[in-house]
Amino acid sequence: MELREINYNKGDYVETASGNKVCRQTVLCGSQNIILQGKVIVQSEAIIRGDLANVRTGRYCIISKEAVIRPPYKKFSKGVAFFPLVMGDHVFVGEGSLVSAGVVGSYVYIGKNCVIGRRCILKDCCVIEDNTVLAPETVVPPFTRYGGSPGMNIGDLPECQADLMVDYTRSYYQHFQPTKII
Amino acid sequence: MSRNSIKILPGALVCEESKLRGDITIGAGTIIHPSATILAEAGPIIIGDCCLIEEQAKIIHRLPFDEQDTEKTPVLIIGAHNVFEVDCHVESPKIGNCNVFESKCFVGNKVTVTNGCTVGAGCKVTEEQILKENVIIFGEKCQMREGLDRPGLQTLQMETLSKVLPNYHHIRKPNKKN
Amino acid sequence: MSYIVSPDVVKYACTCGLLKPISCLYFCRYCCELRCGFCVCHEVDSHFCGKCCENLPSSEARLKKNRCGNCYICPCCQQELSTRIGSKGPSNPEDPKSTPKKMYYLSCLYCRWSSRDVGIPDQGAATGGWPERENVHANRLQEVIEGYKAFITAQRQQKEREKKKQRGKFISYTDRTGVTAAALRKRIGLPAEVPNTYYRNRPKPPEVAIAREEVEDFPEDLLTKALNLMEITTIDQRLLQPDLQPTTVDKLFPIHKQLSIKRSLRCRSCEHNVSKPEYNPNSVKFKIQLFAYYHIPEVRIVTVEPLRAGKTAELILKFTNPTQHQTVITFLPLDLTDKGGDGDREVVGETQSLNLPEKQPPSLGGQPSSLLSLSSRQPSITIKPRPIRQATNCSIAIPGSKVILPPRDDAAEYDDSGETHNIQDDTKLVVWRKSNKAFVKLAVTPDDGLELNTEIVAGFTMQHIYTNTIATTVENKEPDRHDHNVRVFLSLGNLVGSE
Repeated sequence: MELREINYNKGDYVETASGNKVCRQTVLCGSQNIILQGKVIVQSEAIIRGDLANVRTGRYCIISKEAVIRPPYKKFSKGVAFFPLVMGDHVFVGEGSLVSAGVVGSYVYIGKNCVIGRRCILKDCCVIEDNTVLAPETVVPPFTRYGGSPGMNIGDLPECQADLMVDYTRSYYQHFQPTKII
Repeated sequence: MSRNSIKILPGALVCEESKLRGDITIGAGTIIHPSATILAEAGPIIIGDCCLIEEQAKIIHRLPFDEQDTEKTPVLIIGAHNVFEVDCHVESPKIGNCNVFESKCFVGNKVTVTNGCTVGAGCKVTEEQILKENVIIFGEKCQMREGLDRPGLQTLQMETLSKVLPNYHHIRKPNKKN
Repeated sequence: MSYIVSPDVVKYACTCGLLKPISCLYFCRYCCELRCGFCVCHEVDSHFCGKCCENLPSSEARLKKNRCGNCYICPCCQQELSTRIGSKGPSNPEDPKSTPKKMYYLSCLYCRWSSRDVGIPDQGAATGGWPERENVHANRLQEVIEGYKAFITAQRQQKEREKKKQRGKFISYTDRTGVTAAALRKRIGLPAEVPNTYYRNRPKPPEVAIAREEVEDFPEDLLTKALNLMEITTIDQRLLQPDLQPTTVDKLFPIHKQLSIKRSLRCRSCEHNVSKPEYNPNSVKFKIQLFAYYHIPEVRIVTVEPLRAGKTAELILKFTNPTQHQTVITFLPLDLTDKGGDGDREVVGETQSLNLPEKQPPSLGGQPSSLLSLSSRQPSITIKPRPIRQATNCSIAIPGSKVILPPRDDAAEYDDSGETHNIQDDTKLVVWRKSNKAFVKLAVTPDDGLELNTEIVAGFTMQHIYTNTIATTVENKEPDRHDHNVRVFLSLGNLVGSE
């Protein structure tokens, strides 16, 4: 199905020069450490913890409502360090999901209410279904579909998944328009 | 209706953006991240030392439906070294020491949590029960396993957080010397 | 998104008769036909481990029974085990000044199981030091397997010997004259026939297993002892280790992780590869990618009015042209017969002869030119198209006019100036247009007499002009254009109300 127009209240969102659309009701801690590459949508009540470590997203990422992007920590003998969280291009993070992964590749679809465990590695072109709980340090290989709790491989993806995600995120961004006041 | 009375012992790190309602006492060394919610509806909450409460966590002290009209106000005492991860929802009437409540878990108000328990991510524990010591609940169907010993303490993480958080957030000042 | 999470509403009919969404279809450029996962040959390209993302050669994979040597999964929750550094005792107990030695143990981060729970001692090396569990019945199994392997090789040898005997069409001279090797041997004193190696090395059949009548006594305390459910393994945990099948939790051993594969797909009729991934497990690119998504116009449902039996409703479809050439879409009524789905082939330019019975010598098969390869290969399996098992209960008013779709222009994304293609459109048909996309309005009428909440399925044949770019570089400069028919089925939702 073709996407419908998703309207938002113009006053709620701030649009930057590079095309990022960030809601005012988000909690962006340490915003100087958060780099949104361009054409990224961050919807209301999302939390991005840039205070713990650097957070970098690619282009055309979509972070839905109430999602939490939290850099993971790693225990060393001498203490704990928070590692930067890098997301690739064309990533969709569903509502209410907690992303604490170490690396998120490009063209990834994360469903609603997921828990991506600490230091997981999500490679390119994978899909994490709704309500999945991924164990910490899981490696999700490309073209796989993970689901359930604990997250297990439940299916395969078609080979043109990369283009499907590009198309989806681009059309989501194009349809995400402020409500026109006539 | 409920007066906000929040007592913060020295050493505790409470971010301003957290939502605290009711009569709450926060022990020394406890760290509360922004966007955490603690509601003391049915009575006071006393949080022990060195607890870690992450964002979107909800600790709610609410009476179960069948005990709504009793006269006495029960106190929720949370022990020391507990960890409440992101988006967990805890309504338990009694919590011991060294427990871990992982992300997006739900603990109902008839569950008594003793010491060293781990409630895994996404688990919903609602039946009336007393969790044994060192028990680990995991999986979609809330399978239970007995662990060898209690989960490790998060002291290293809390030390790093106590250095990082004041740089980026407004912290509530401790107001009780004890 | 519809292809990722939502149900499939738009399905194309493959040549074998199955209905699939466009993301699951492939397009063989050489036969100009749609192929689905069932009409292509799946071949294993490479093996790799999902966790360490390393390739394994196929011989090694077979040796290790398709499991990774280094990675383990937790027997309790089947998640990956990670190696943790445990206690560090001094490496040399007598020398108190020696550096502390790191001891490693396996731990699951989901259910907090660890190798210490079952008593496996900590290892000094991070990888490869973990003890392998011995199968109690390993010797017997090996004996049985070897016995049967020898039996099979002996049978095969016997068959070959018989074939050799039959092949001898020429009469040997010795037979005529009477001086045969057998007669000579008899004269000397040796046995008449060459002792057959088969009889010398007759394989020993494995020892026969004898059933016993005695059974262990039934322990009475099974009925009286209280159960501790936390100590008993679940059926899933037991069946993960079929040779051991532990009943208690303290006997669960870590299991090697299974390998994943990358596969390449090959069209069954023309033996050309339709999809070939790269060798690197982390890469998502393809060496050969002939997906239908890149060649066939994509149809998507934009809106559909609520459907009532017998009443006409409006349906808006979005057509997207993914190719670099202009295409024209013509609508035709749906044809559910057994035809392969390909209409008349109009060939512009040089005619290609697709008559396959001439078999060229195999030396020409190595030529990269597709024209030669088309005529030199015989199809290995001819696939008979099957009838489509989907009845449509809705009719679509087929418009007479055509829709022109301009080619895809990747640079247009950055160019905000509206380009005009000066396409004269039938405004009742095409309601909106932008670069290579167009919205088309159609009228659908569900059949009369349908009950409430029946699923409505409509279908039509979409004819588009496909420009074949294979032949351009070789013979002629003109790309070959011909019509290609695709049958499209749309699930329009449930019937709502009747009046």
